[in-house]
Amino acid sequence: MEKRAQESLLSPETVENIHHCNKCGLCMAACPVYKELLVEWASPRGKVQISRHLLEGDLEISPRIKEILSKCLLCGSCLAACPSGVQGDRLFSGFRWQVTRRYGVEWRKRLLFQVLAHPWLASGSARLGGWARSLLGEKLQGGIKAGNLALGRIPPFNSKPFSSVAPEVANPQGRTRARVLYFHGCATNYLFGRVGEAVLSVLPRMGVQVITPRNQGCCGVPIFLSGAREESLESIAHVVKTFGSQEVDAVVVDCATCGSAFVREYPHMLRELKTLGKDVSQELIQAAELLALKTRDVTAFVGDHMSWLPDLPAQGPLLRVTYHDPCHLLKAQGVGILPRKVLASLPNVEFVEMQGADACCGGGGSFQVEHPDISASITQKKIQSIQATRAMAVATGCPGCRITIGAHLDPGLEIQVLHPIELLDLALRPAAEPGALTPGGYIS
Amino acid sequence: MLKEETTRELKGIVGEQAYLDSPEDLVNYSYDAYIPEALPEAVLLPRSTEQVAAIMKIAHREAIPVTPRGAGTNIVGGTVPIKGGIVLCFTRMNRILEIQPEDRYAVVEPGVVNAELQAAVGRHGLFYPPDPASLNVSTIGGNVAENAGGPRGVKYGVTRDYLLGLTVVLADGRVIHTGGRTSKNVTGYDLTGLFCGSEGTLGVITEITLRLICKPEAQRSIQAIFPELEGAGQAVSRIMAAGILPVALELMDSTVIRLIEESHRVGLPVEAEGLLLIQVDGSEENVLGEAQKVARFCRENGAAEVRVSQDSKDEKLLWFARRSAFGVMARARPNCIVEDVTVPVSKLPTMVRNIVALAKERRVTVGVLAHAGDGNMHPLILFDRRDPEEWSRVEAFTHDLVQKAVELGGTLSGEHGIGMAKEGFLPMVMSQETREVIRQIKASLDPRGILNPGKFV
Repeated sequence: MEKRAQESLLSPETVENIHHCNKCGLCMAACPVYKELLVEWASPRGKVQISRHLLEGDLEISPRIKEILSKCLLCGSCLAACPSGVQGDRLFSGFRWQVTRRYGVEWRKRLLFQVLAHPWLASGSARLGGWARSLLGEKLQGGIKAGNLALGRIPPFNSKPFSSVAPEVANPQGRTRARVLYFHGCATNYLFGRVGEAVLSVLPRMGVQVITPRNQGCCGVPIFLSGAREESLESIAHVVKTFGSQEVDAVVVDCATCGSAFVREYPHMLRELKTLGKDVSQELIQAAELLALKTRDVTAFVGDHMSWLPDLPAQGPLLRVTYHDPCHLLKAQGVGILPRKVLASLPNVEFVEMQGADACCGGGGSFQVEHPDISASITQKKIQSIQATRAMAVATGCPGCRITIGAHLDPGLEIQVLHPIELLDLALRPAAEPGALTPGGYIS
Repeated sequence: MLKEETTRELKGIVGEQAYLDSPEDLVNYSYDAYIPEALPEAVLLPRSTEQVAAIMKIAHREAIPVTPRGAGTNIVGGTVPIKGGIVLCFTRMNRILEIQPEDRYAVVEPGVVNAELQAAVGRHGLFYPPDPASLNVSTIGGNVAENAGGPRGVKYGVTRDYLLGLTVVLADGRVIHTGGRTSKNVTGYDLTGLFCGSEGTLGVITEITLRLICKPEAQRSIQAIFPELEGAGQAVSRIMAAGILPVALELMDSTVIRLIEESHRVGLPVEAEGLLLIQVDGSEENVLGEAQKVARFCRENGAAEVRVSQDSKDEKLLWFARRSAFGVMARARPNCIVEDVTVPVSKLPTMVRNIVALAKERRVTVGVLAHAGDGNMHPLILFDRRDPEEWSRVEAFTHDLVQKAVELGGTLSGEHGIGMAKEGFLPMVMSQETREVIRQIKASLDPRGILNPGKFV
């Protein structure tokens, strides 16, 4: 009985992964968490084997299983390293779902998910500010740490959500070369409004018409990956309906995680939920497949169409910049060369590679809050690599990495973490214009 | 089950954090990269020789089986605790204790990962050559216990060739030191050699002194594609006869070539019977001369297409196909076993033909990779372990494979070891008398038979 009950929560396609694991262990070399803990249960191989035993019924969902499954950054490094193509993350997220059904979601996460899942809940800045204060309370002022993060070093919220100030259509000045839909994600909406401004500044200068739908909502991935699948379906359906459109040339995304959800996760998630008897229409799955094809990370989109860029004025002193590969961009979407190409083309940027640019920063969404020690020591390696380059800015196209890295850099060094599109935007502005970048920081 | 008192004692030695016995942990130490699995009763993660000695004293007193292991990447079941008891896992005993550029040696704990050692000595301009395919994960302790090899074996030999000395905890908890820190050392029996490749059955290795060499100045690789397998074999013989000692000399057969091409489109001719990838190293000028010679030998023996790497980017490109071979094969079916029979170099083409014929006869999908320079064959057998009928054909194929290798004057394992996978084949290559000597050595070092019991001895 137990066995059948567990099997029915994973689609046959997902279960098949278990039988393709040869236990060779090559995934362990790629796993940031294993390399910290050096015990088998921390490794992808260990978790795949535990999944097999859960399925075969000689292990059961337990608090220990919950803990083991939570010690995974879901960075996808193991997928990229697996010779047999085992997609462990799909197994782990499936079992996280079961853990959630058994033990529920922690209240803080549940509250966050509810806000994320309902755009109207988070639509007003007053409401959002109120939410943030009630959730984090006086800790915000107190320099208290939330897991691996010092709360005082998380960037302040946008004074207004980006979606409430962004024009719904941004038109190019000259001829229109392409039309895109822009998904800006929660991070740009609430924290990094400047990234959104940069996207709406750069793309029109390239001759791209940008349509930014209002009330986009959350991509649903943070909710889904934590195991709260039913809650995530609402978000996913909303996004797919809004963005799965034949009418545009591309859907550009400024967040690596949201992008990886569109490209790699949505069709799979929806098919899996349908197989498991959830109310998912074939129409929705087709729209998700269309969205997967249309989606392009914004930096990759620029890299695809470098010839559309206006001439970049060579100006000001050189800024030394290094690049961090977000796992959800490199490992999930295969985007690594194009952001470097874009950065290296900027006349005011001296591009320098760091050691282990593709190594995970250790953030992993809520991972750093749940497992601060493991997270911090993975983050420290990344920080050392960055600081060793003597770069004044780190470019990275993931708000999660940005928060994690930004919170751990030595404040005395004044290194900035920016989205590549912000650097491009700054390079496109004349030196005197507010917002231009200098080695000391923004001129504003 | 371990006695409560014993559990308390063991926890006292390693600490609560390094004593694992939840059902989840036991499952996690029940396997390596081979098929059978068995649960231990406890997993201990020691940090020092003293801890290991204290653990062994208790295990000896209580006659508890002890299976030492590193990352658990061996593919013969060598670290599966088939008699239960304790798994002694060394992944956290992983310090590099010393690197001596002047005397060219390094002292390491057993849990140091091979690739990390290579990187560390590389920063001193030094080189540790053994390069098993698992090198990014596998530990030096495991490499020593299995006497691991790798593609560079042709020129640089195997793990044994880089061992100067060991610290070993014996079954009863006594600690001995073998060898020393000098490359010449004939003081008494070669105990270092005895423990190397003993697969954890004679003692527990807790410290390793390794010989290092200087990093070669330059490398070049040659890729040669042969319409007929015999040509590849003759080219190998010609290269070896000319006194050239390549670093690596890798062969892949038509099945592997076809599968690589189908998934990666790197431009390999799918009708070719064999592909040789040869690497030479040394000083800049010698390397170029040797590479050109190797290329000529390949052409003279029928290679249809020969490419010589011009820079490190080329080098990577040429090795891409070889490096992706395992993954391409592994993806084709749920399970993949890598066999390890080894034949005299001149018998290589015959053995490849034998393998292809046997695979056909037993209806098993097999692709052949080989370290051609030392006759070490790696037939990759693809199957689905959920199908017992198919598994029985795989077993029959493996039996015939070993038989053929032995008939050609070869042996059943070149670098993977015996473990559980090949114990049954030992009589084919080893006389009763020889096995008796092995048992006597085992009995004198481990009278209660607690070290990795149930394995090949």
